[in-house]
Amino acid sequence: MTILAKALCFLSLLMFSGYALSGDKMAGETRYKETCINCHGPAGKGAASYPKISGNEVSYTKSKLEAYRDGIKQGPNSSLMFMFAEALTDGEIANLAAYLKDAKYNEN
Amino acid sequence: MMSSSGRFLSIVMAFAVMLGLSFNAQGAGHGGMDVPKIKSSVLLKGLESPWDMAFLPDGTMFFTEKCKGLSVRTKGGSVNALYGMKGSKGYPDSGSDLFCDGQAGMLGVVADMNFAKNRVLYVYSTSTKYHGSGCKTNFEKCDGNIVMKFNVSGNLKSVSNRTDIVKDIQYKPFESNQPFGGPGAHNGGRIRIGPGGFLWVAGGDRHRGICPQDGKLLCGKVLRIDGDGNAHPGNNPPEGFDKRIYTYGHRNVQGIDFRPSDGRAFTAEHGPWHNDEITGLINGGNAGWDPAEKRGGRGACPDKYCGYEPNQKKGMDPAVRAAYTPMSDTRFKDLMPSAWNNNGFSQGTGSAAFLKGGNWGIYEGRLAVGIMGIAFGDTPAGSRIDMISITPDGLGINNIVRMPLGFSKRFRGLVMGPDNALYVAVDAGEIYRVTAE
Repeated sequence: MTILAKALCFLSLLMFSGYALSGDKMAGETRYKETCINCHGPAGKGAASYPKISGNEVSYTKSKLEAYRDGIKQGPNSSLMFMFAEALTDGEIANLAAYLKDAKYNEN
Repeated sequence: MMSSSGRFLSIVMAFAVMLGLSFNAQGAGHGGMDVPKIKSSVLLKGLESPWDMAFLPDGTMFFTEKCKGLSVRTKGGSVNALYGMKGSKGYPDSGSDLFCDGQAGMLGVVADMNFAKNRVLYVYSTSTKYHGSGCKTNFEKCDGNIVMKFNVSGNLKSVSNRTDIVKDIQYKPFESNQPFGGPGAHNGGRIRIGPGGFLWVAGGDRHRGICPQDGKLLCGKVLRIDGDGNAHPGNNPPEGFDKRIYTYGHRNVQGIDFRPSDGRAFTAEHGPWHNDEITGLINGGNAGWDPAEKRGGRGACPDKYCGYEPNQKKGMDPAVRAAYTPMSDTRFKDLMPSAWNNNGFSQGTGSAAFLKGGNWGIYEGRLAVGIMGIAFGDTPAGSRIDMISITPDGLGINNIVRMPLGFSKRFRGLVMGPDNALYVAVDAGEIYRVTAE
């Protein structure tokens, strides 16, 4: 393999791994509106007894969702989250985390 | 093949279109129907979990925020904070005993029928003041929800003379082994003034299995009391029950209002993954909720509460759950049958108000029901406001029309205003004014 080909491979790897790590905000928003919004409210601002989940670092949200998906209890209402998280793929978790990091609620 | 009359109509229509004439979209026979145009606008925004509102005849609106406290929007539009929860900022006065946790906090608010003379306002909240030694576990009495009575100053800038007229509605102090297992579950919390000026207080079962059917505990009950907290003399609960009880056997009543045509009370209850219910109340009646273990053919349940069983940690057919722990259990001879059960679904019925005023046209007299939207298992979220036509006997419905708002949010509190508009609090932080013209 030439140096140029190796460099291209390396760059591609960087690009795709970066994409996977940062997630797709738009896809995350779409997924959020399918189920999460019903409890956590618009843009993850929290609603009633359901906590605010926006504004956190991507790594934090990812680790939380992965833990729920693995059935690890993280609070008194964890069993609700187990049900929703068990269906999430790695990509969906990354997308949700990316969306929620900067999600802002516009009440209008 | 088109008939000759059909061809004639087509030709007329074509000429009409060429001439720019417009046609009404309504079909034949609907021309006389008084279908109002429904619009909504944001009255207040940026609130934290607004829960309930109460109006004075001039449009002054008191409102609660679950974890902050009581405020008032004057008829001029300015907002004054009045009485805060412990730790709340910006309130001229607060209760060091008032707190919020989970579903609990400052909930219902209503003005006395004679407010113009006595300036009395009632507020429902969670409080530590009467815990005593009864809150060491989830299986004790634990008095933690109260109804307070205040006097509101003439300038609407303060409240005074707090008197706790109900001190012994139960509260859930600790986490339990349930899907919504956090402390503070199922407080009911809606309060309203009914016919004759009596105060109605709607409660919840606080995740304690024995609550709804126990005549000495106020959890899972609807109370009818006077302004000092005394039982209405006409209450007719079963022998040995607390006389403040109007009805019992409830799960979590967050909606109560009185039908304009006959004054009958109707409640809206949030179901346990099945059967949200609207129920016409009967004095002394049983709504039929009994989540206690080892009853109705059931065995032991997690933390002695069968409210989400069977298989409470997984989605399943709501009808199977309904058969195991029914919302309206027909083994009770004094059962008040529900008028509506949301097609067997639980989507989070939060509040209800009868639509009053001719401006509501064909919807006048219907019960507007706020549904917050909760999607577990295969249940669709269903966040919406339904306008339900209830039959005169209160045992069924004629039909349901979804209110055409153009948006869906968690509709928590519904109250009619003095202007015959419907005011709607949503968990996201707004209070909407919904008009019909």
